[in-house]
Formats: sequence, structure tokens, C-alpha cells
Amino acid sequence: MNRPLADFIEMLRYSDVPVSIGEAMDAARTIELIGYQDRALLKTALGQVMAKTAEEVVSFNDCFDQFFSLNTELDLDTPLNSNEAPIEAPTAPEDFPPELGQLDQTVQGQGGGDGAGGGSSGQQGSDGAPQTSLLEMLENADRAGLTMAITQSADSVGLSNIVLSTQRGLFTRRIMEDMGLGDITQEISDRRSNERETEASELERRLNILFEAVRDYVDRQLALTASGKSNEFRQEVLKKVRLSNIENRDFKVMREMVRKMAKRLTDMNSRVRKVKNRGHLDIRKTMRRNIAYDGIMFETYWKQKEKDRPKVLAVCDVSGSVAAVARFLLLFLYSMNEVLPNVRSFAFSGELGEVTDLFNRYGPEEAIPEAIERFGGRSTDYGRAMEDFRDLVMDQIDNRTTVIFLGDGRSNGADPRVDILREIKNKSKRVIWLNPERKNIWGSGDSEMRKISPNCTTVEVCNSLNKLELVIRDLLKTG
Amino acid sequence: MTTRLCPAGYKYLGHSYWIKPLFPAIETVSENNNQKTYRAEKPLIRKSELLVTFIDEKPQAAIEDILKRFEKAGYICDQHIATSIYLSQKLDKPILVEGPPGVGKTELAKATAELLGTDLIRLQCYEGLDESKALYEWKYGKQLLYTQILKEKLRDLLEDAQGLEASIDRLHQFGDHFFSDKFLEARPLLQALKSEKQCVLLIDEIDKSDHEFEAYLLEILSDYQITVPEIGTIKAKTKPVVFLTSNNNREMGDALKRRCLHLYIPFPDSKREKQIIQARIPDIDASLRDQLVEFVQQLRTQDLKKLPAVSETIDWARTLMLLHADSLDADLVRNTLNIILKFEDDIDNMDIEIPKMIAAAKKAARA
Repeated sequence: MNRPLADFIEMLRYSDVPVSIGEAMDAARTIELIGYQDRALLKTALGQVMAKTAEEVVSFNDCFDQFFSLNTELDLDTPLNSNEAPIEAPTAPEDFPPELGQLDQTVQGQGGGDGAGGGSSGQQGSDGAPQTSLLEMLENADRAGLTMAITQSADSVGLSNIVLSTQRGLFTRRIMEDMGLGDITQEISDRRSNERETEASELERRLNILFEAVRDYVDRQLALTASGKSNEFRQEVLKKVRLSNIENRDFKVMREMVRKMAKRLTDMNSRVRKVKNRGHLDIRKTMRRNIAYDGIMFETYWKQKEKDRPKVLAVCDVSGSVAAVARFLLLFLYSMNEVLPNVRSFAFSGELGEVTDLFNRYGPEEAIPEAIERFGGRSTDYGRAMEDFRDLVMDQIDNRTTVIFLGDGRSNGADPRVDILREIKNKSKRVIWLNPERKNIWGSGDSEMRKISPNCTTVEVCNSLNKLELVIRDLLKTG
Repeated sequence: MTTRLCPAGYKYLGHSYWIKPLFPAIETVSENNNQKTYRAEKPLIRKSELLVTFIDEKPQAAIEDILKRFEKAGYICDQHIATSIYLSQKLDKPILVEGPPGVGKTELAKATAELLGTDLIRLQCYEGLDESKALYEWKYGKQLLYTQILKEKLRDLLEDAQGLEASIDRLHQFGDHFFSDKFLEARPLLQALKSEKQCVLLIDEIDKSDHEFEAYLLEILSDYQITVPEIGTIKAKTKPVVFLTSNNNREMGDALKRRCLHLYIPFPDSKREKQIIQARIPDIDASLRDQLVEFVQQLRTQDLKKLPAVSETIDWARTLMLLHADSLDADLVRNTLNIILKFEDDIDNMDIEIPKMIAAAKKAARA
């Protein structure tokens, strides 16, 4: 596979378009068929080969436009001395023996760390060498040569590792130095001291244009790989960070992540099906199965199938003590509501109320603050909440129901009514308590976790997305 | 791949050259007692010859060509669609077509079949569809009947066999007649694989099928073959052109998507929709056509439960033709709105907007 395609595919993968190897091969064949000439056609064709959902198509289009708009603009006017013979392609800076670079201690100080960086600046001492120096290229306005030199230098300084926009200046400088910035500044000052002012300023002007071009190049590279990478980086961090420490601005990213996670979890698990042993007999299938036994029905096959999806009741504490995480717990509740068919969600601080309807009706941006508004703000009273919960849904809890509590178990001294919790546990399949607090402060102060935990099937610390995912995966697996 | 597209009666010479032999090819039909019977094959040139021309042209020209052919067949499409047809031919890949209902996903398969001059084999998916309905089934009744009838014969056959072993040995000599092709009921997928000439296989609304069935399709989609436990692997005689359509009721698995080209057909813009109406209802008055298309285009920008699709626009155009309307007015639209809007709520909500939208549609049509 050719290099640009490989780069493009890598970029796509960073931008959430998972291109498989098979698809990459198809893409290579497509390019062979269509070629690079007709961009619109290539875009359409590659899009159909590689992007497989509506969201992927959007990312693909962005990536394609960015990737194939790479054309460095270098307007350097006409060459100064046009009688110059056509310039041969510049050799890579790496071709120089590194010693040469070291021997010529050039102006640049910091760039010396780069072996290749010193390489091309070795040009200064050896005037009239067969290789084209940056100076010559600038003087001759050798656009192709300069573009190639930029690409090569970018390679040798490792531009593809750029991740953050703050690194732009650094990389621009490094590339320029790698191309032999030192020589040019030297040359300019030489010319100035020799009173060749016009030539000096002309060279300086060209150098500035080159600077612009390199900066553009770096910018584009940043847009190519880094936007994907930094996004990934940010998501990685968000997954691990404590829920309470996540800031408001990350809420949107978070929402997308939670949604994806919840969807993945349900996708993974919705396939579980139980075949029921009652209802209508599927004659056709039974006969087919029993043909081997001369039609005597040893094995029966029933028409009814049951989708084994857990019935979930989720209760979320939204009081002041968990205010920092309440939004995210509610967000997760919301996403679960979206992807699982049988979730009923409740929120409480003082009294408890159902928020399923609210979640169904509004987007998370409206529903979550609304839920906090409606039920939050009061001091926590687990006893009251338990009573409300019992009155509301106790008769609907059966042995297929999973009850999830999200809360810190701090009841402000009020009786947490663990007797109700025990009753719930007895009736339901299981009770899961997720606590955002660390385990070693459970039971301290007004925390009732010691009373609560024996009455739950599982009690878990749940303060990051990763943890949340583990818990829910477990829930669905055995659901 | 190229030879496959060579029209019958032509000889493939490589590099996209075909030659028509002066004398029709002669084919052996049967051979018994050293007396050969010959049958001359008719130099038949099917419609699919049309495809042959584009397949080795330059891609741009080929895609243009497909566009034109589709247009001739009454299916107006854009470059996206034509490109995916071209690619699916070149890469031997099925096409997964997605889009809102009524934008012509199924029509695309039909039009392609027409273009290729072949049969369309259609498999409608639904929840609970399994391989016995999609792929093959044994003809149980026939099997039972034959065993009953043949009981006598079997007795004769086994009469002089000594002991169980000898009887079984003798039975083995006769092969698995009851599990042979003769007792196999071919369902759409198998039909497509067994088809002598290239056919178009449409697997409609794949999103309505179960996960199991989706997994079942993977073999046929990637290798154009299918494995039947009792018989073995059946390979496609000619690779069919496969379309899968989906309304996105559920997300398709990655494995399936990986094997297909992905084509999304959105609602057409007003220019294309006018072309479509023109192609479908050639008698329609141009100004009425423009007005109604602009009206529907505006409807699509509203908040509706179900947006009107192309098929609904066509139906509406037919209705207006029947009513001899020559331009839109509020009463006419009110009376016929139920043809494009399928929910009572939608119709009620749009009621007050109608005069405004008609005015805007007329303005846009004039522009």
C-alpha cells in the first residue's frame, strides 16, 4: 500500500472511523481504479468503501478535505539569477556524514542536539558543493525543492508526533533549523555588513515566506493527526478521572462517551436469548430436528423466545453531599434509559420521585438540571426515600429485577430504613449499591454504609467512568 | 471478472476486447451410444451487453455512463449512487444501502436488475427469519412420500443380502438420494447462488432480521458461497450483484459492514426530485411539478413525525394529475395532504402553515 493512503487511514482511525485491514485493501484497489485525478469522485468512492455509518461519513469528509488540501504555497517570484541551470533534486539531509555537521560549528546552538539538524548547515563551509543549499533554493525560488526539503526536515524532526497546539512554534523552529536557517541568517548579516542592503532584505523577505509556509505545514499536520490524537488523549483521561473532578466543559464529551459505552454494553448483551419451554410448538423446526429419529419427537422446539434483558430500577441521590457527581450519575442513568428498554429511574434528596418520563421526553441538557432542580437541594433522608420507593414500586419488583442505588449513604442522622432495603433485596434479583466515596471513609460520620452494605448484593465504589463500565458490564452479563 | 461480463456468443480476448465469432458456438448437449447431438447456441446478446461497455472504460466516463443508463431506465440518481454501482462491479462487493424510507433503496436494486437485464431475487427480512426460509429447506413431504413408495423397492434390493452388514453395504452403493438436490427446496439466497446468469440479489430491510441471520449472511457476502451441512459448500456459479437495504432500525454489526460498500441515500434536492417526477410521470405540467416539489421540499424542513419521501411525492403528483389540477391552492392541498403526510398530528400541525407554504413554493418554483 502506498504511503499517502496509509497516512490517510491512520488519520481516519484517529478520527473515529475504524478502518479495518480489509477495508484498507479495498481502498487501495479503489485508488488503483480511480486514481488521484478526480478528487470529488475519489472522495465519493473512498467514502463508500471506508465510512460505514452516518457519523463516520461526516468524519470521513472532514478528514478527506483536510488531507488532500495539502499544497504548500510558496510564492517567491522569479529566481534572482535565472541563468541558473535546472536544479537537481536536493538530497536528504541525512545523506551528509554527521561528522561534517559537527565539524562546522555553526551559529545554531540548540539545534545541535539533532544530528540531522547540523547536517544541512554543514553546507556553509563547502561552497559550490553539488547539493543545493537552502540559500540557493531560496535565491532560485525553487518551489519544488523547498517543498521537498520541508517534508524531509519535518520527517527528521518527527513532526508526526505533534499533539498539542502549543508545540507549533517549537516544531516550526526545528524544521527551519533542520533546513539550514543558520546559514541564511548568517548570509543576511554578512550581506548587511557588506552593504548589500537590497539583496539582504530580499533574502529576508523570502525567508519570511518560507517561515510562513513551514508554519502552515505544521498547522496542517497538527490538524491531521493531532486533533484526533488529542481528542483520544482527552477521552482517555476523562475515563480515569474522578467523576467529581470533571469540569463542566467536558460534560458534552462525557455525554458522548457515556452514550457510546452504554450502547456498547447493551449491544453486547442484547443477544442473549432464552428459549422458553412452553407456548406454541414449532412443528416445522421440531420435525426438522427429529428427522434423524424417524420423526419421533425427542427434541422439541418452541416458537416462543424470550429476550433476556434485565429489568432495572435505578435510584439516584441528588442531594448536596453528592452534588459534584450527581450530574454524571444522572447522565449515566439517562444513557442507560436510552439504550435499555426496561429502566425506570428515580431521583431523591428528601422525597423520591420518578424521572423516567422526564428522561424520555427531554434531552440530557434539559432533563438532568431539571431532575436536580425538582428533587435535589434538600438534605438527604434515606429513610424517607426508601419509604417512597417502597410505596411507588415495591409491588413491581420481582425476581428478574435489578435495583441500583447511586448514592453516598449519608443520611444526616436519619434512620436509613435498611429494613426496607432488606425487603427489596429479598424480592429482587439483586441490589447494587454504587458509592462515589472511597471505601475507607465509609461508615465515618453520618455515613450509613455499614448498615447498608449487608443488605445489598454488591456494594461498589464507583467514581470513574471505567469503574462504572465494569459494574454495568457485570450487571448485563449476568442479567 | 471481465470474462463474466462477456456477453453470450462473444469471445473474450483479454484487455476488454470481445469478438463475435462468425459461426455461433457449438455446444455438446448429449452423448449416448457414440452418437453426438449438437445444438447451436444462439448468438444471443442480452441487455447486459450494455454493462460490458462501461466496465473497462475510464472510471469517470463509466460512472457517467451508468448515470445515463439509469436515467434511461427511469431511475434518476446522483454520482454517489452510480459510483457505488461501479465500485461494486469492480471490487465484487455487496452494497449496503441506507436512508430514510421511500427514497428509492429498493428501486435501486430493481433498476440495476433492469439495467443488467437479469432477474431480481428478493429476500424480505423480518424478525424470526431463519435459514430454512432464506436459504434452503428439505422437501420433507416429498422425502416421506418417496420412502413410503420405495419401501417395496428396498425390500427387493435387500432380499438376497445376508445379514445386517451386507444390507448396509448394499444401501451405501446407492448414495444419499434423499439428501440430494432433488429434495432441496432452494430459497432466495440459494437461488441467487445457483443462478446460471448473473442476477441481482436484494436483501431487503436487513435491519429487521435477527443477529443470528446477520451472522449467517457473512459467508455469502464475502465469498459468495454458502455451507449446507448435509451437502457441503455451494459456490456461486456467477457472482450475483447484492444489495442490502436498511432503515437503521438497529445498528448493523461491524463484520457485516466491513464486507459491504456503504451507500447512504438522502432525500433528493429539489432539482433532482423534479427530474424524478418528470421521469416517473412524463405527462405532468411543468409548473405544477415545480410547485409540488417545492412544497414537499418545504415540508421536509418542518418538524414532522414522518417526513414525506420521494415515493409520496410521486403518489401526490399522480393524485394531482387525476384531479386535473394545474396549480396548488390551499383547499386542494388540504384535501390531498393525507397522501404525503401519514400521521393525523402532522396533518393538523401543518394545516395553518399551508397557505404560507404554498406561496413560498410558488415563489421558489418561479425562481
